[in-house]
Amino acid sequence: MIYEMVVVTNMAIAILFALSLNVITGFCGQVSLGHAAFLGIGAYTSTLLTKSGLPLTAALVPAALMAGTVGFFVGLAALRVRHDFLAITTMGVGFLFVGIVRKQDALGGEIGIAGIPAPDFGRPGLLVLSIVCAVAFGAFTVMLKRSWAGFAFNAIADDEDTARLLGIDVPKFKLWAFVIGTAGAGLAGALYAHQIRYIGPDSFGFVESITVLAMVIVGGIGSIWGVVVAAALLSALPQWFQFVENYKLLLYGLLLFTTMRFAPGGLASIVDRFKNRSARGS
Amino acid sequence: MLALDLLIQGLVQGSIYALIALGLTLVYGLLRILHVAHAALFTLGGYLGVLVTNATGSFLLAILVAMVTVGVTGMAVYRFAYRPLLGRSPLVALIASIGLFIASEELFRIVFGAYGLSYVDPPLQQRVQLFGDISLSVARIMVVVLAVVLLTVLGWLSVATRTGVAWRASVSDPPIAQAFGIDIERVRYLNFFVGSALAGAAGVMVALLNNLVEPTMGAVPSYKALAIIVLGGLGSVRGTLVAALSLGIIEAFGTIYIGNYLDRDAIAFAFLIVVLMIRPHGLLARG
Amino acid sequence: MSQRLSVQDIGVRFGGVQAVDGARFEVGDNELLGVIGPNGAGKTTLLRVITGVVTPSEGSVALDGADVTNWPTAKRIQNGLALAQQIVAPLRALTLIDNVALAVGHKHLMSPIKAALRFDRAPERERALDLLGQVGLSEVSDKWPEELPLGYLKRLEVARALALEPRLLLLDEPLAGLNQAEAHAMANLIASLPGPGLSVVLIEHNLGEVTRICPRLYVQNNGRPLAFGPTAEVMARADVRAAYLGAGK
Repeated sequence: MIYEMVVVTNMAIAILFALSLNVITGFCGQVSLGHAAFLGIGAYTSTLLTKSGLPLTAALVPAALMAGTVGFFVGLAALRVRHDFLAITTMGVGFLFVGIVRKQDALGGEIGIAGIPAPDFGRPGLLVLSIVCAVAFGAFTVMLKRSWAGFAFNAIADDEDTARLLGIDVPKFKLWAFVIGTAGAGLAGALYAHQIRYIGPDSFGFVESITVLAMVIVGGIGSIWGVVVAAALLSALPQWFQFVENYKLLLYGLLLFTTMRFAPGGLASIVDRFKNRSARGS
Repeated sequence: MLALDLLIQGLVQGSIYALIALGLTLVYGLLRILHVAHAALFTLGGYLGVLVTNATGSFLLAILVAMVTVGVTGMAVYRFAYRPLLGRSPLVALIASIGLFIASEELFRIVFGAYGLSYVDPPLQQRVQLFGDISLSVARIMVVVLAVVLLTVLGWLSVATRTGVAWRASVSDPPIAQAFGIDIERVRYLNFFVGSALAGAAGVMVALLNNLVEPTMGAVPSYKALAIIVLGGLGSVRGTLVAALSLGIIEAFGTIYIGNYLDRDAIAFAFLIVVLMIRPHGLLARG
Repeated sequence: MSQRLSVQDIGVRFGGVQAVDGARFEVGDNELLGVIGPNGAGKTTLLRVITGVVTPSEGSVALDGADVTNWPTAKRIQNGLALAQQIVAPLRALTLIDNVALAVGHKHLMSPIKAALRFDRAPERERALDLLGQVGLSEVSDKWPEELPLGYLKRLEVARALALEPRLLLLDEPLAGLNQAEAHAMANLIASLPGPGLSVVLIEHNLGEVTRICPRLYVQNNGRPLAFGPTAEVMARADVRAAYLGAGK
């Protein structure tokens, strides 16, 4: 029973993490190659709080707020640069985060922080909490997508300059996307830290940023259910199959490559193609 | 004298960065693709350098074999990975490249083992006395010399030969070059060959400097190379070279002065972010 | 009573090149002004100054008396300016009706928070359908941009710009790439647009159509203003003819 709980909790956290990136990269079209840094900010913030006695539930909001605040400043920086420059800048943010954390003794430096207190409500409670957070954030992104804000995000992702010409305050919307997305990642980070009970700078590096990006890409940029399925699968498979765990990175790499080569719209586009074909065929 | 020592260290490191980053900037200039998989070619060069030297005892042969093989592999990467993706958004190529890179790192690990290979009898280890009490191994000197030689030859070829001129024209304005009858496909293959060969050479030299080649050795230099080409103003050869050398020197001095607050590898990115905030199109941005 | 658009002594320098030097003209309410000039005359740069993509080194731009020279583009759009782009830029992920509906609802997008709380697109879609009808695109309102030829997409640009309820509509070479019949039809559409509360500035190369529908012209050559006035007078001038015949030197 414990094993299953761990797997499902990890899946819920991965889904939350991926959905948060989906708001930035999927809805708003802003490539981020450093999203793991915000997972890390949430993780470290919540850890410092719970280690000084606060219960996990009280640490969740500060973790999200901290990540969202840093995300706001990163978003400001991101406004200055476009496309390819943005990808590298966000990558740089990720490296900067790891580089700074490595040197801070208060954050455990290279070694990280172990012995993170278990939440009072134990594993079952953490499972429920993670699922609730993932579902709530998911529902929130669904509403966002259907709203006029989603309409604006769509335009910005499609063609930023034209969006400007349609009177959309592109910087404001981009910033909001960054804040929402990074706050979501911070929340996931807090849950992650208390699930694994150990965090170190290596947990939040470039590979982790690419992993979550893979979930968004494979799921289909912008498609909420696609990202949920991709995140669930990509996080569950290595846990179920040791074989997959050993070759996890090779699999991610090949998956990213083949998805881009044959189905750049991800799972969502594959399903759409299938639907269109059967609709026409009948 | 510490400053001079650091400066030389910086130049050596900068030369390596230049060899790696040049290939990246060439690909970007021609195809607008951030060729992250370039790092895998660098690593491949390292492995070939060690394997050939250990098998034949000739380092010179190893460099040649590495450069040619990696150059050809680069052309294959263009043909099978990037060409099919040319019509799509650049994000697609970037992700595909990242996927390819990650998969390659893993393949190296699976084939050659996670712990890496070393030179059985590392060449060029003798030390040479320079001014003052600064001594450098021949290997380090070779790095700078190799970089200078290769880049000079390349620079000369690109102005003195027809192929070279055609190449420069294509990099600066592909549609016009095509209108003049230049075979863009051949230029692309040439581009990848040259850029990859340089990275291969860099891989051989780095493997020598550390006497170790291991699967992830391409990661950090390639991330930095990406920062470098952005700093140099994506697509500008001169900018890339300036940025590469500058970064080498900044890292050498930076580690001493701010090493308490920031990891060495993060210095490159801190520098990048600061520069981009002031000049969003890079240090020496194109027109 | 201030002019709808007032361009005064605009100068734009890029590096060492003076792209625009001393441009000046005015447009009143219910007017259709044609802006012409040979290739390289700096018309595009001038347009970019008016929309706010480029900040001029000298001079000023005023919209209904307000100095907008330093205003960001989005602010100008929210204050009565609209542009139909030369290189058509439909939002490819949206159908035609949604493309226009987005523009119709631009006021809802001023606050991201309010935008996140609004879900109803029906009224905007209705208005969008009207606008598409005005430009002759009712039949294809639920098609995707990629399914339609250039002529249709040019009309979409105009519909989208009109959806912003502008007081000043800028049209950047709307006839480019159209065959003679299409260009003629498009020109007729443009001629029908100006009215009380709406002025139109038409930047165009197609001299035949521009001189046919525009009562006044502004001519620019090598970045400098060459002529400004009623069409017949302007086209009768020897220096204007020379500028066009001499172009391509």
